[in-house]
Amino acid sequence: MTSVGTIVWLSSELMFFAGLFAMYFTIRSVSPELWADKTTALNVPYAAGNTLILVISSVWCQLGVFRAENGHPVRTGKLLEIGKWGMREWYVLTYIFGAVFVSGQVKEYADMVHEGITMSSDAYGSVFYMTTGFHALHVTGGLLAFLMIIGRTFTTRRYTHTQATGAIVTSYYWHFVDVVWIALFATIYLLQ
Amino acid sequence: MKVEYKFFVILSAFFLIVGTVYGVTTEWDEPVGPVGLYLCMGLCLMIGGFLWWTGRKLDTRPEDRLDGEISDVDGDYGFFSPHSYWPLAVAASAAVVFLGLAIGWWMVFIGAPLVALAATGWVFEYFHGDHAI
Repeated sequence: MTSVGTIVWLSSELMFFAGLFAMYFTIRSVSPELWADKTTALNVPYAAGNTLILVISSVWCQLGVFRAENGHPVRTGKLLEIGKWGMREWYVLTYIFGAVFVSGQVKEYADMVHEGITMSSDAYGSVFYMTTGFHALHVTGGLLAFLMIIGRTFTTRRYTHTQATGAIVTSYYWHFVDVVWIALFATIYLLQ
Repeated sequence: MKVEYKFFVILSAFFLIVGTVYGVTTEWDEPVGPVGLYLCMGLCLMIGGFLWWTGRKLDTRPEDRLDGEISDVDGDYGFFSPHSYWPLAVAASAAVVFLGLAIGWWMVFIGAPLVALAATGWVFEYFHGDHAI
């Protein structure tokens, strides 16, 4: 029941991003000269690397889900025995990759501001920071959710079905945010 | 789950057709319509696909059988909180944050830790101590 609710909510999140995409394409279609001028400031290889980090974090997250589904919240071996990792270890790794992604975005924002593109500089700046910014807020929210899912495994004695469901729906959210980023990356950096 | 997922798949096919008709009639010159309608298709496909994927893993439910009885569906539905004040705390602290966006950033910095505190309280309410679920 929790998972169905999460999917319905995520589908509404899709419509939230639909609004952002519609905004992007509309402003792009009415002021193409702004786009021709400003998209040169984008650092596409850097953003591609950052995208790769987020996609890989989704893989780690899914490996954590498999462990949660099998009822393994914690590792059964040593820290370096990756094959014996539990949900907790994989989610910590996901968290690190996600945190690197957000930090990378912060650096990218700093570079963009150096290029003279700010939230209030022009329509391109507004659209750029609105779309990527709302996405970054979603990633940050996901990171906090991971912390709570990991924290739950410390405050309870047994790893129950309810807990595993929480871990699984958090992964749904993470994959969703990942897919939205791929669409945003394709729109902003590849399509320009 | 056949009825449920078919319902959403039919809806997504509808949005695919409508989005394409919209695009053709506006000569793909107006981006909001196609983006909105195609992503509506995505919305329906997400729910429909998930119901189909879940239905494949479950046994046939009583409501899917012609001879199903209402008494067949009783049983464990999961855990529901009997009462909790944490949602109130989350809502109040979130209100401080959003009010801060309108009034001044200093309110956001006061509200954000309160949101963190309230959300943590809510999430961990039934996941600590001897009676954790």
